[in-house]
Amino acid sequence: MNFNIEIPASKNELIELLSEYKNKKYRIGAGCTDLIMELRKKPEDDLTVINISQINDEDFNNIKLSNNKIVIGANTNVVKICTNNEVVTNFPTLKEAAQNLASNQIRQVATIGGNICTASPSGDLICALMALKANLEIIDFAGNKRSVSILEFYKGVRITDLKKSEFLSSIEIDLNKVNPKNMYSGFIKIGTRKSMECSVVSLAYHIQLNENYKVISAGLAFGASAPTVIFAYDACDFLINKNITELKNNEIDEFANHILKYASPIDDLRATAWYRKQVLFNISKSILEEFSKTN
Amino acid sequence: MLKKRKLNIIGTPVPKHDGKIRVSGQAVYGHDINLTGMLYGAILRTEHPSAIIEKIDISEALKLEGVECIITADDIDVNNISYKRDHPILKKGEVNCIRDEIAAVAATSKEVAQNAIKLIRVEYKIRKGIYDPIEALEESSPQINKFISGKYKNKNTAEVFKYSHGNIEEEKKKSIVNVSRRFTLPRVTHACMGTSNITAHFDKLSGKLVLYSSTQVPFLYQRDMAHALKMNPSDIRIIQPVIGGGFGSKLDMYPFEPICALLSIKTGKPVQIIYSRQEEFIASPTRQPMIIDIACGADKDGNFTYRDIKIIKDNGAYTSWGATTPFVIMQAFSSLYQVKACKFEATAVYTNNVFAGSFRGYGNPQATFALERIIDLLADKLKISKAEIRLKNANYKNEITGQGLHYETCGHIECLEKVISESNFYNKKNTENGRFRKGIGLASMLHVGGGAKIYRSDGCGTTLKIDPYGYCTIITGSNEIGQGSETVLAMIASEELGIELSKIKVINTDTDIKPWDVGVHASRTSFVAGNSLLGAINILKDKLNNKAKQLLNTENSDFIYQNGMIAIENANEALALDKVVREMHFSEPSELAIASYFYEPLSQFQNKEFKGNVSGTYAFASQAIEVKVDTYTGNIEITNVHTAQDVGKVLNPLLLDGQIHGGILQGIGYAISEEMIYEEGKLLNPNFHNYKLLTASDVPNIHFYPIETNDKQGPYGAKGVGEAPLIPTAAAIANAVCDALDIEVLELPLTPERVLKAINFKK
Ligand SMILES: Cc1cc2nc3c(=O)[nH]c(=O)nc-3n(C[C@H](O)[C@H](O)[C@H](O)COP(=O)(O)OP(=O)(O)OC[C@H]3O[C@@H](n4cnc5c(N)ncnc54)[C@H](O)[C@@H]3O)c2cc1C
Repeated sequence: MNFNIEIPASKNELIELLSEYKNKKYRIGAGCTDLIMELRKKPEDDLTVINISQINDEDFNNIKLSNNKIVIGANTNVVKICTNNEVVTNFPTLKEAAQNLASNQIRQVATIGGNICTASPSGDLICALMALKANLEIIDFAGNKRSVSILEFYKGVRITDLKKSEFLSSIEIDLNKVNPKNMYSGFIKIGTRKSMECSVVSLAYHIQLNENYKVISAGLAFGASAPTVIFAYDACDFLINKNITELKNNEIDEFANHILKYASPIDDLRATAWYRKQVLFNISKSILEEFSKTN
Repeated sequence: MLKKRKLNIIGTPVPKHDGKIRVSGQAVYGHDINLTGMLYGAILRTEHPSAIIEKIDISEALKLEGVECIITADDIDVNNISYKRDHPILKKGEVNCIRDEIAAVAATSKEVAQNAIKLIRVEYKIRKGIYDPIEALEESSPQINKFISGKYKNKNTAEVFKYSHGNIEEEKKKSIVNVSRRFTLPRVTHACMGTSNITAHFDKLSGKLVLYSSTQVPFLYQRDMAHALKMNPSDIRIIQPVIGGGFGSKLDMYPFEPICALLSIKTGKPVQIIYSRQEEFIASPTRQPMIIDIACGADKDGNFTYRDIKIIKDNGAYTSWGATTPFVIMQAFSSLYQVKACKFEATAVYTNNVFAGSFRGYGNPQATFALERIIDLLADKLKISKAEIRLKNANYKNEITGQGLHYETCGHIECLEKVISESNFYNKKNTENGRFRKGIGLASMLHVGGGAKIYRSDGCGTTLKIDPYGYCTIITGSNEIGQGSETVLAMIASEELGIELSKIKVINTDTDIKPWDVGVHASRTSFVAGNSLLGAINILKDKLNNKAKQLLNTENSDFIYQNGMIAIENANEALALDKVVREMHFSEPSELAIASYFYEPLSQFQNKEFKGNVSGTYAFASQAIEVKVDTYTGNIEITNVHTAQDVGKVLNPLLLDGQIHGGILQGIGYAISEEMIYEEGKLLNPNFHNYKLLTASDVPNIHFYPIETNDKQGPYGAKGVGEAPLIPTAAAIANAVCDALDIEVLELPLTPERVLKAINFKK
């Protein structure tokens, strides 16, 4: 595994490098927790890694509140995400996904941008960000910006909408419409170990309620059970305008089936497709059951 | 004025002697060794678990710049290795498991060595392998290992162990309940943090070979290496660098070690081989998978009547020490709880799988799992409490078991009572019906606690010296593999000689220097090396006392050693220890303050029927484990582990706690997560991503209750503690899961998927 390294110090230098490498082989590296594993498995000749971890830019490396949005720089590491106050109070699903990612050591270097761009079907942050319907800010080699919803970003197994010579600059999430006490948000990660575990199934939910427990907005996404992380549109629609405390058992099953129908898992070493489907169904039910229990 | 006192340092939480160098990164592991002019070795292993080798072409690899030597079986004159000598170092003509070594390269860098390996062309004729030991026993199966002597009728039988006591037919008649089951135990591995490594340095001028090796048994290794290489053992010097984990994996010598030596012999340069993590998973030893058929009975009062056990062990393609685990397994079946009759047969069967090695517990986790599961089933049938049936049949002090094990001390009943009361066992009835189900399970274990007399000697030598400045050097035959034996030995010397710990050095890494010892295994080191050190201390104290008597002009030799001083109790005059040593060295007749002692435990060899008191003492433990099972996902949460262990005497509570925590987590991994997954002899999960070794965040609440039975054989009453904590854990967890879910558990690990399947099957 041999490669050259370029180390831009600012976003502008990164843009210049992208333009310089327009017709050359390169890879962007942030925390490199995915990239190095990938290159070890499939070494490439004459490769340059553009190491963006040294870019000194407040917006690129941090979380900010602006205009009813939370903006997370793509280079923000996972520790910052699970400890940031705005995230903790407004987006528990993202906080919980970040908190259970890999291990403390890896969370110090792994970035949110890396998680999104690796496009793993079991990417935990992707899953939470989908439930939050986040928008991605992308910049190209000429400095042009564009924005795309994370719900539109994934095109296939580890394939994204990101084009060559583009990079992910930031992630934007709209603040909740309701105050935190009317929000029901969380992340369920299923695996054997408590850390250093890649999700066997994951489920992110972010549900906003009015004072009478009526659902006014819902985001549900699951991971590791399809070629990409999946947003369960029909399950969200199903919940809208329903009183979440008054659901009957058959409705809860119906809701879970609205999630399950998007699943197309495979058998692999970590679990069979059978297991993934069973569990996805069960944990989908559990979010509604648990709500009734705790409220 | 010195006064006699109780123990001063023994029993206190002294941190590990080598702790600082380890956590600060200064420890020199085998991976850190870098000798001048050193070459890097790499091994070509087979692509197929069972095949004829038609051709090996090394010509392209030889052309690569930086390649200094390539060897195949044709280039070497060596003997087979392994305890049955059925394992060729480099394979010729055929390969029989996925680890098989075909060629080895020495080159100027790791990269060149790896690239050279890729350039070696091997033509194979693939054969159908045999991966199921039961199939291997069939008449129609071909012979897998051609080196065995034909001692057994079946061509794929590697070894058979038979044992019995009592009249099993009589006992069957007396039984009002009988239970039989087949249990299947998985293959798991040690997953040492330090991967396998060796550096060999052959000096052509002197003909001597130095090996920097992580072996646990340097003196047996020296002998085995000499046999393999057709050398004189004393021309081979074994130096142990800091070892990154043993757990039994370094009890055997494996082919990569003589291969490295051969590369050094051929090139005349130092050569180093270090496994990658993937290679470690593929080519380092494992625990032995087993199929255990067990039938047991009990009479109307709940007394155990008989046990009838048949075990098939997957030996893999070659034999390792792992094949001898029945020595320990039969102890559990014959002597854990009282049982009137026992019949036992274990057969190790060659297959085209990888061979196992020894692993902490040495067969006992498998045996204890089967036995403790069956005890729960017997209790269910008898409709008596699972605690009661165990207490009724528990082992007791002064018991001599059917196998001849003599329990001069025995904390079994105390261990059981302790965990039963602390866990509130009787009141933990599983009544819940919702998503989460709680359960509690109980299991005990018996293990050797004072060595195990399997070799000609189970002894350990010590040479002890005190220098003219009052510092003490312990040269011990025993080894440090992370378990803390250096620390305990230093504590013993400090206690007895009144020398502070910082003035005590432990030398234990070099076969050219240290006296003989059989090795680290069988939880023996503190017991055997501790007693050996105490023996040397007594001899040295006699010498020091004589000198002190002379210097103080007294006939009284009842000296106290404290704070670097020697004195008679309450006397006004005291002598500095260093001064006494100087007087010994420098005044006529001069004498060194040095003593040597060889300790041999008072244990016996077992006879041909495997009967006899094989260990100096025996350790017992009981665990009550509470679980909470998620019926939506099959995940088992271990909520509380109550563990009581008869340790004889706590020598160092901190190190003891380390053994308990580590052992229990290893036991939990065996119970719920770890499994090497093979398909047609190939390992599918050679990485931590898919081999679910548990991590620090998976450590549950562990409540540890040491039980002190003060065995007069042990140093200060101590027994071996290292293996015990892991042995009953899987059994107790399986029992707890059955309690929670009312399901059958016939195999491990209880992965979430297996549990969810069992729940669905019940529905
Ligand atoms: C032991 C271990 C455990 C793990 N556990 C988990 C887990 O529990 N959950 C989970 O979701 N993931 C897990 N991962 C995966 C990984 O840590 C995360 O995906 C992490 O967030 C990746 O971030 P990074 O900064 O290291 O990415 P990198 O490895 O630097 O990059 C990953 C990919 O993204 C691209 N990239 C990075 N930044 C940008 C950018 N700004 N613009 C465009 N492309 C970019 C890179 O080119 C590369 O293709 C684990 C990894 C390891 C090694």
